[in-house]
Amino acid sequence: MGVTVKPDLKKLIAIAALVVFVALPILFYALGDFPRRSVLKEAISLLTLVALSLMLGQFFLARSNMGVIELYNLRRIRTVHAVIANFAVSWLLLHPFLVVVPRFFEAGIEPWDAMTMMLTTYSSTGIALGLAAWVLLLVLTVTAIFRIRLIKALHTKYPRWRHFHGMLSIALTTFALLHAISLGRHTDTPMATMLIVVSVVGVAMLLRMYFPQRAGAPEPPSAPNVREQAR
Amino acid sequence: MSKSDELTRREFLAYGGGAAGMLALAAVYSRNVTRIDTDAISSSTHQCDVLVIGGGMAGLFAAVKAHDAGASVMMVSKGRLGSSGLTPFAKGFFVFDPATETMTLDEYTYTVSRSALGTNNPVYTRQTAEHSLARAAELREWGFFDSNLYNKAFRRPVDARSIPVIERVVITHLFKEGRRVAGAAGFRLDAEATVTFRAKSVILCTGAGAFKPNGFPVCDLTHDGTIMAYNIGAKVTGKEWNDGHIGRAKNPAATYDGWGDMFDQRPSTEGVGVRHDLGVEVNYLAYMQGSPIEMGPASSIDGEPFRPAEFADVQRPSEAPAGRERPQSGGGPGAGGGPPARKGDANGGGGPGLGGGAPGMGGDAMGGASAGMAIHKSEGLVPINDQCESNVPGLFAAGDALGSYMCGAIYTQVGSSLAGSAVQGAVAGEAAARYSQGVELQAVPEDVLTSIEGEILAPLRREAGYGPAWVTQTLQGIMIPNFVLYIKKESMLRAALAYIEELRDHHMPMLRAADMHELRLAHETANMIVSAEMKLKASIMRTESRCSHYRLDYPQMDDENWRAWINIDKDEQGQMRLEKQAFDAWPAA
Amino acid sequence: MTIQHIGGCIGCRECVLSCPCDVIRMDEAVNKAVIAYPADCQICHLCRMYCPVDAITLSPEKTIPVVVSWG
Ligand SMILES: Cc1cc2nc3c(=O)[nH]c(=O)nc-3n(C[C@H](O)[C@H](O)[C@H](O)COP(=O)(O)OP(=O)(O)OC[C@H]3O[C@@H](n4cnc5c(N)ncnc54)[C@H](O)[C@@H]3O)c2cc1C
Repeated sequence: MGVTVKPDLKKLIAIAALVVFVALPILFYALGDFPRRSVLKEAISLLTLVALSLMLGQFFLARSNMGVIELYNLRRIRTVHAVIANFAVSWLLLHPFLVVVPRFFEAGIEPWDAMTMMLTTYSSTGIALGLAAWVLLLVLTVTAIFRIRLIKALHTKYPRWRHFHGMLSIALTTFALLHAISLGRHTDTPMATMLIVVSVVGVAMLLRMYFPQRAGAPEPPSAPNVREQAR
Repeated sequence: MSKSDELTRREFLAYGGGAAGMLALAAVYSRNVTRIDTDAISSSTHQCDVLVIGGGMAGLFAAVKAHDAGASVMMVSKGRLGSSGLTPFAKGFFVFDPATETMTLDEYTYTVSRSALGTNNPVYTRQTAEHSLARAAELREWGFFDSNLYNKAFRRPVDARSIPVIERVVITHLFKEGRRVAGAAGFRLDAEATVTFRAKSVILCTGAGAFKPNGFPVCDLTHDGTIMAYNIGAKVTGKEWNDGHIGRAKNPAATYDGWGDMFDQRPSTEGVGVRHDLGVEVNYLAYMQGSPIEMGPASSIDGEPFRPAEFADVQRPSEAPAGRERPQSGGGPGAGGGPPARKGDANGGGGPGLGGGAPGMGGDAMGGASAGMAIHKSEGLVPINDQCESNVPGLFAAGDALGSYMCGAIYTQVGSSLAGSAVQGAVAGEAAARYSQGVELQAVPEDVLTSIEGEILAPLRREAGYGPAWVTQTLQGIMIPNFVLYIKKESMLRAALAYIEELRDHHMPMLRAADMHELRLAHETANMIVSAEMKLKASIMRTESRCSHYRLDYPQMDDENWRAWINIDKDEQGQMRLEKQAFDAWPAA
Repeated sequence: MTIQHIGGCIGCRECVLSCPCDVIRMDEAVNKAVIAYPADCQICHLCRMYCPVDAITLSPEKTIPVVVSWG
């Protein structure tokens, strides 16, 4: 019996994850009372929403979520984490440009002018938050790509880097969410609720791991680090 | 709507998101000021040699050229530079390039005069053609032809010269000291503030105006310049003419949709192409036949407005670029004042619809899209010479605000409206700079300015009265019907005049406003009332039919009595006075 | 409805400036543009075309106020 339950659970969890991180934002987008624009614009928006949601999902593909790691094994989780990083995160890095891309195909302010106008709207907290998030995301990405070298160069340990990575994601997520809520054309109440709930849970798990206060909190596992470093 | 969306989202954040910093944003949304303390309204005064009012094509060149001629210049506009008035929507710029044209300048001028049945002022017709190439070259340098939006290109030369531009200020008054103009005054839309400009010379580049009709993007213009100039003694002309634009019956108010993709296009230049367009032939057809209009190849009907034979069939659907000045078809408004061709090509009425009404996009046409506006440059201040100068010393006008009759009382040269505004703006700018070198800035008595400020703010101070939107709607109901505005007869004109006089005498003095937006509407409404009175009186006076003026009771052209324009001014008693001015004469200064 | 919806506004004011008819105003409290006077919209789309983030949606429909005896 134990043999059959496990794969089912795996499947179930995978489906649940897809529902929460992909289907839900799409559903809220579909149900929301937003004006529908061109296919290109809507596609960009939708992909951005899903990318954001998947980025939040990264919190659940981390060591803070030992249950999942134990269920699937670390290597696979790491792969998924990396794939999402590659696609969702690069999409989000492109987000400021994607906002103005449709202007290439229609009349109105030139894309470059739109970009300049957008980035120089200093009065907007939302823009400032977005810029902060974008910069953090860039730092996060770069430090993740060069983590091994970084660790070596700084003579530090992998858990330290991971700690840094986690904290940076928390900061980034905070800025990104506030940005999305204050400016996002599709972040209506249901969408915002979902994003907030997901991030609060994800961040809480991470914090619980880093700052274990109660007995029973999962200790950061140390064994896999060796493998990681050796890679 | 969106407002409540924002609110709930922010409330939500404040309650649940824990984002304390965002709490401030949760402040309850309050609508724009509903009540203004008129005693707390601030005021500011500016000073310059040449004040340019209006930020369209004419205003741009007036400011730039006055500056380059050595004057200190300020620009003020109730909208944005290059994004207000009619300029943002015009895409065809007429260029007379002697190198490529087969006609000479004289031949061109003469051709326009033939189409215009003598109503054009050949001096201005020629002037536009002559300078068009140079103006187009400057525009090209500023990037005008590179985008469908003009603000950036317009800002370039203005910023390079550090010419101050004050946007979103509605000018309501001109004032004089002695005989000469001494400045202008108005109010801000974004602040509870009045603004006074003291200037040696003023150039009105305020465009034309209309009755806030549905179907033509002219709803921000109400002949403000004409009326404020009239109020200080300037002569105005051209009020009997009409612009015969028609629109779609479906969603008539949607100007963007009605013009196909024209607002999306970048501007380009056009060569010589003289037509006889956008008069009231379709209005006549609709009046006689009823709606929907049936247009056939030989849809000309008895008694219709006269069209010179030479220009009978100049409109061909294939002449697409030449059709830039009118809505594109596809059921949109048609060419040459013609509705979309519902039955193949139509000639008689107003010519075929441009593009011939593509299948599936067709639709019925409706009239009065630009109701209250005349053919560009056929109405406005009367020039006393070829320098865009009015009969009030120091007061100039250019573009649609000047009754230069550059292309006559019917659309003749395609794209010449935009070019004409550019050329006249430049001429007026230089002339005003020259004028201002020879005069001193005048001191205007404080009590004059105080009383003007009182007039500006009066609608805000009224506790009760009539809402400008309602008065406007009423005026539209009186003026816009085909049988009043376009297909005229004396009895009906007099009847309409009685209504308009009622609005003038009883409602105009009681217009109220609750905020600065409504204050603008109140002043605009007053201007429309005076314009309507002028239109009706000039229409009654002109007992003939010619170009875009059509009288059912005088359907013929009367060359014996009416080779003349009608000028209007205020007499000593403040009454509206109309006079004839021969086609080939300048008025006495 | 004329100008219909503003979603994703960053508060740059471009639409307020570029509207010839003063239809759009800023809600200063939240730094967002709001449709303040839709009755005066001429559906010319300048606001939409000047908006750097394409936040504005327009509809071609416009309802005309009902006729009453005074107002
Ligand atoms: C849809 C459309 C298509 C057209 N197509 C063509 C074309 O293809 N070719 C062509 O040659 N012409 C065309 N025209 C005509 C052309 O646009 C105008 O003749 C020309 O742009 C007029 O320029 P202007 O500077 O004289 O006035 P406008 O561009 O009308 O400018 C008037 C200015 O005055 C300001 N103003 C008005 N009242 C006040 C006040 N009380 N206080 C302060 N400021 C005030 C306004 O804000 C505005 O900035 C078209 C017009 C329209 C509407």
